[in-house]
Amino acid sequence: MHINLNAIDFRHGKTDTRVFENTSYRIDGPGFNALFGPSGVGKTTLAKIIAGKADHNSRFSGSIDKEGISVILYTYNLERLPNWYSIEEHFRAVCPASAKKLLNELTEISGLKPVINSRFSRLSLGQQNRANLIRYLIQDFDVLIMDESLANVDEITKQKIILKIKSAFPDKIFLYISHNVVEVAKFCKEILVIRRPERLPQIKKVSGFDFAGEREPGQGRLEHIMLEIMNAS
Amino acid sequence: MLHKRIYQFLIIYFLGLSALFIVKYSLELSDYVIPSPAEVWSAARQYFFSFFINSVNTLCVAILGHMISICLATAVAIIGSKTNWIGSFIKIGAYNIQAYPIVAVAPIIFILFGDGLSSRLLITAMICYFPLLLSFIGVFSEPVAHIEHFYNSTGQMTWWLPIKIRLFENISKLITVISGSATVAMVGTIVAEFIAADAGIGYRIRIALYQSDLAKILVALFLIGICTSLYLFVLEYSGTRIKKKLDIPAEGSQ
Repeated sequence: MHINLNAIDFRHGKTDTRVFENTSYRIDGPGFNALFGPSGVGKTTLAKIIAGKADHNSRFSGSIDKEGISVILYTYNLERLPNWYSIEEHFRAVCPASAKKLLNELTEISGLKPVINSRFSRLSLGQQNRANLIRYLIQDFDVLIMDESLANVDEITKQKIILKIKSAFPDKIFLYISHNVVEVAKFCKEILVIRRPERLPQIKKVSGFDFAGEREPGQGRLEHIMLEIMNAS
Repeated sequence: MLHKRIYQFLIIYFLGLSALFIVKYSLELSDYVIPSPAEVWSAARQYFFSFFINSVNTLCVAILGHMISICLATAVAIIGSKTNWIGSFIKIGAYNIQAYPIVAVAPIIFILFGDGLSSRLLITAMICYFPLLLSFIGVFSEPVAHIEHFYNSTGQMTWWLPIKIRLFENISKLITVISGSATVAMVGTIVAEFIAADAGIGYRIRIALYQSDLAKILVALFLIGICTSLYLFVLEYSGTRIKKKLDIPAEGSQ
């Protein structure tokens, strides 16, 4: 299973701003990876290109080869659930029969049980993001791109959710977009540091600690990864 | 809510009436041009009940015409939102027709249908319909990207779901538009009654106009204001209840 980006060129339609120029990269095998970089550098754009949801008005060239991948889902933190149902009713409406057990576990781990009968607008921002992420996790997918999907979630709950994702989906690819250098260094297998088009290569790979719950990373090791990420960005 | 509406109307009505009397007495106009307060009071006592029945008749036609135009606008806007070219065609058509004063078409309706309920209803519905259609097309054609994204991405989007999402997300706006068009419905009915009716308060005003009886017209205006306030109150109250039942957050909170 891999995603191969070949010579990607991308310019925004309205502003004609160059975002990617002749950028190539290969994401190999399953794992929890990160897209990292300063705001406006093109993380969301790259995520949308991979998901096949790039803006139609933009200029795009290059190709994306996928092997062993049929469904790529992209979720972002501004998504909302319609307010006509409670969270539980929404989950029930979109949950495949085979994912009911997983849904229960995810609801429990993400701390949504106490508010499961509330409507979306009544939840806090962090709870809204968790509810949105869960409904994606119970779908059938090969790649899930999480664009700041765990924003506004406290560190302990965030760790529980990421560890659950890693244990429940060992054969899927995750692309996690976050501005938090500590969490990408700690939890991700590969960190794809995206840089401005002037800096080549535009995507630079840093290996993360890929913490899966067994052995906490030492302070020195984590600092070293973080330094590598900051140097690369 | 109701008493506020009635108070507002009463303040405006009596301010207008006072202005009329000030003009009358400052310019020393005859009772034939502007009747005296006593004459207005006498007309009110004499015609209040029959004018009230006529006003209720007008209100019923206005409500019926309003409901017909809401149903029609909803159906056409849904169809328009489903297909791009039909949507564009309907939108452009509605913009152009709305720019044309529908009242000017009323005589044709009168010629075709004669005076009576059908003409009143048709003119009322036509006057309400196009402004409603434009608002409804705007609502049903505009995707709510942050909600629809999930259903599109996961292949769970149905024919009905985008309509439901857009309706739900814009319910406050739609309630405001419907309440706003209630006044237009009332105006449309009265205009229809001026032209093509043998009943209703507009018809009574037309007769009073032929008799140059401003006192009767002032009594009719009072009852029209009360009836319109009542209808607006019912719509606004229903809107508030619907929003409360659906747990719609206050506008601007999301």
